[in-house]
Amino acid sequence: MTASLAPSQAPAGRRRSTRRRLGPVGTSVLGAVIGLAFLIPLWWTVVNSLRPGDETFRYLNPLEWRTFFTLTPTLDNYFALLDTDLGRAILNSLFISLVTVVVGLAICATAAYGLSAFKFRGQGLLFSVIILSFLIPFDAIAIPLADMFRDWNLQNTFFGLILPGLGNGMAIFLLRTFFLAIPEELVEAARLDGLGPWGVFRRIYLPLSVPALIGAGLMLFLFQWQAYVWPLLMGTDRDHVVGPVALSNLQGQFAVDYGVLFAASVILILIPLAIIIGFQRYFIQSVSTTGLK
Amino acid sequence: MKRSRALLLAGVAASAVLLAGCSAPADSGSAGDGSGTVRFLGPEDPATFAPVIEAFEAEHPEITIDYTQVPFDQYSSTLQQRLGAKDDTIDVYAVDQPNLSQLAAQGFLEDLSDLSDEAKAATSSAQFEINQYDGKMWALSVWNSTQMLFFNRDALAAAGVEAPTADPAARWTWEQTADAGRAAQAAGTQYGLLLEQVEAYYQLQPLAESLGGGSGIIGDDMLTVDVTNDGWVKAMDWYGDTFESGLSPRGVGGFQTAPVFIDGNVAFFVGGPWDVGRFASDASFDWGVAPMPYFEGGEVATPTGSWSWGVNTASKNKDAAREFIEFAALDPAGALTTTEATTIIPSNSEAAATYLPGLEELGGEHAAGVADLITYEIEETAVPRPVSVGYVQFESAMNTAFADIRNGSDPAARLEQATTQIQDAWKKLR
Amino acid sequence: MTTPTTRAGADPRARRAVRPAPPARPTRRGRRHPALIALAFLAPALVALLVLRLAPAAVALWDSLFRTSLLGGTQFVALGNYLELFGNPDFQNALLVTVVFTILINPLQVATAFLLAVLYTRKAAGSKIWRSLVILPIAVPPAVSAVIWSVIYRPDGLANGFLELFGLPAQPFLTSPQQALASIMVLLSWIGVGYWMMFLIAGINDIPRSYYEAASLDGASWWRQLWTITFPLVRRPLAFVLVADTVSNLLVFAPVQILTKGGPEGSTNLLMYDIFTRAYTLGDLNTAQAEVVILVLITLVIVALQFRLLRTED
Repeated sequence: MTASLAPSQAPAGRRRSTRRRLGPVGTSVLGAVIGLAFLIPLWWTVVNSLRPGDETFRYLNPLEWRTFFTLTPTLDNYFALLDTDLGRAILNSLFISLVTVVVGLAICATAAYGLSAFKFRGQGLLFSVIILSFLIPFDAIAIPLADMFRDWNLQNTFFGLILPGLGNGMAIFLLRTFFLAIPEELVEAARLDGLGPWGVFRRIYLPLSVPALIGAGLMLFLFQWQAYVWPLLMGTDRDHVVGPVALSNLQGQFAVDYGVLFAASVILILIPLAIIIGFQRYFIQSVSTTGLK
Repeated sequence: MKRSRALLLAGVAASAVLLAGCSAPADSGSAGDGSGTVRFLGPEDPATFAPVIEAFEAEHPEITIDYTQVPFDQYSSTLQQRLGAKDDTIDVYAVDQPNLSQLAAQGFLEDLSDLSDEAKAATSSAQFEINQYDGKMWALSVWNSTQMLFFNRDALAAAGVEAPTADPAARWTWEQTADAGRAAQAAGTQYGLLLEQVEAYYQLQPLAESLGGGSGIIGDDMLTVDVTNDGWVKAMDWYGDTFESGLSPRGVGGFQTAPVFIDGNVAFFVGGPWDVGRFASDASFDWGVAPMPYFEGGEVATPTGSWSWGVNTASKNKDAAREFIEFAALDPAGALTTTEATTIIPSNSEAAATYLPGLEELGGEHAAGVADLITYEIEETAVPRPVSVGYVQFESAMNTAFADIRNGSDPAARLEQATTQIQDAWKKLR
Repeated sequence: MTTPTTRAGADPRARRAVRPAPPARPTRRGRRHPALIALAFLAPALVALLVLRLAPAAVALWDSLFRTSLLGGTQFVALGNYLELFGNPDFQNALLVTVVFTILINPLQVATAFLLAVLYTRKAAGSKIWRSLVILPIAVPPAVSAVIWSVIYRPDGLANGFLELFGLPAQPFLTSPQQALASIMVLLSWIGVGYWMMFLIAGINDIPRSYYEAASLDGASWWRQLWTITFPLVRRPLAFVLVADTVSNLLVFAPVQILTKGGPEGSTNLLMYDIFTRAYTLGDLNTAQAEVVILVLITLVIVALQFRLLRTED
């Protein structure tokens, strides 16, 4: 790599925020209050996953400390999940989502690169096609798509479950947006150092777009992690059951044990949560701008 | 369309080669001679059907039953899509009884008329009739249901109201129930009355039937809407008022109704047999069971119906599939195993006679008389939902109308609107 | 004004760091076989989108010209399904609800996401934790967020509990035709705002700090810096968020399905929910596909307008 790409740390003093209207304390307090407000509904869910299902609605009104806390937490609801297909479903969903993220990111990132790094006739048209593809509501075209997949004997296969997640026009749009912001000078410099189109993609575009790649990855991941209508159409037998379907299967037609339902959702939330928190450290001042300093 | 498909095939063929390892073609592995694997689709937890599957496999070692659960809220539509695509990975499936005629009309159900005599002998007349469409029998009734009036005896005692009994001859009227509910509210209970499925045709049809409004569908082809007659309007006026006056809570729906009763916040609760076991384990007050009320001067009508099982016409293993549903519906011992792991009534009369005392026992002293009550309602007062190819559209429009009436829409005008909506939807059927 | 060239050019140090390109050399956007190379990079995605989205959409478009009846069979009706839809008061209402919903929710969500992104990119204690909490709701399964919010909106639920705490009167929320749509919007914002904020954070982080430092030396206020530096320089991510958020909101239906079923009085009957019920519950696939075509056209118009409005001057 050229020397111009090496991030040169600015002196610490210069990086300090100089926006002073709200001091760090005020900002911290405001940030915390908003964060906690967003947490309240989930907190209530977690607390009720630690309570027997018949107590779920007992402390709703008027509000009291027991609405949001319990002194006698129990893991019974979580143990009850051991008798269900949820474990299997989570493994399946994880497998489907991870394959989708890896293959999908490769497909989407190359496409975004093709759209942003070159100038050619018909570029606008291709971009329009990609935009159009994500304007089409997937759940609405799932029925004709499922007919095709049945013709190809894809029902009850992981391939049939993974495939629809791969073509994600929105992820391409997202990556293109961030790819366009990559300074031309960097690319030019890399090219002078002898990098071809593939090299520029791998050594300039990808490393400089980590936050956008994470965002696109999360987009691909959530599409599969929350897929519900499509797996039902593709016929999930017990070997191919996925998380949201297993979750809905917990709701009987006569009664729902909300304690168990909430416990299952907490588990289903944990994996994306780990991903979101795990990748927070990449959401820092981007290399693409520090590299210019 | 043809061309785009050909294009698709080419595109996917390439990728399919790469991923061939992942895709295993679904093969039903059946011989068509009454052995092999029977794939069974239903909306219940696998544990519910484990006993019947186990009992059947013990009796028929050459047949394996492979059960798949589809969530209840998406069951009908998923079934519709998969059967419409001639999906042969379904051999037997559970049929929500009012949807039977639509499924039969589309050719998704195997004609089982040759079993008519046995089926007639095995169950109540309402449960036999429900499987008939176009003069043929398309499925076998496995489960049945009814509704009862549960009450919070402590709440009534606090209001000085004498509680109803389980005796059908001493059945309360809705007016009486509402008055007692208001008295209980005055004495400190939050709500007076709550129906378990607040916005569902299944539970609200009897209100209109009681006032002579009929099911709402009439005509030789059962494709004429009739929900704006006096009976329907009066019934819905009364129902809307229970919410307007605060006797019943708005905004509590879905599965959140039974917990209101369990938490002691409502005096009267209309629910099903499945609530007996649940209240016995979760409610910490004195409760009891009484017959579902009727309107003063009106007819007695109670909900009925549940699930039948049928054979998919696209199945490649019909003989084995038939063996299985005959076992579950016609063989009393087999029928009994379908309810072993849940609280629902078997349609098979002999099985029900064995089952109901057990249900009463499950409810303890609170549920005294429940077995006789259920038997009586199923034989005498049950009014099935209408058999019509347009039932699905009808129910969907009616349930939305019920929800609006509950939230304060004018009943007469709203029923008028529902009539137009249903007529519009039915135009597409013919 | 937001092109990379201007941006780098505005920063004197950037000029120094990068070797100036000899004028004779072609720029990166005009190389020898750019179209072929670009197509090679685009091919997998185009095949995937063609097979998985556009082909079934074409089938849907084709199907929308037919009518299959349960008792009658299939016949070609040309635009019959469309004409019937536009004459149907329920569909007209669904269109109106969808338009009102789109006009209100998107600016609100994007503005909130932007302000939150600004807040959470400032130097403050624990901001990574707090912003994770704001992003988190996107991970909640839709069926569960609907259950949670049904409990919040119940007459005796959490929302009224909090209102009571502050001495405010109880509200009907989902049971009132006037409040139901707004209640659904709040729910959807709880789910989505953090998600869109995430992309804006990535965009804000791409802005060189030196810009702010220079502006501060010039004595520009925080508010002025927000409008003259942050806002213009995240314009591209902002455009992405606006378009993607608009599309996502037009395609949402799960909370409506679980909470209100389009009611009360059709006040939450969004087009996508109407499509879903028609296709999956009522089994009227042909009309549902006609509605899909209309929905896609509406989305197309809105998105085209947004692109036009947000087009950068270059």
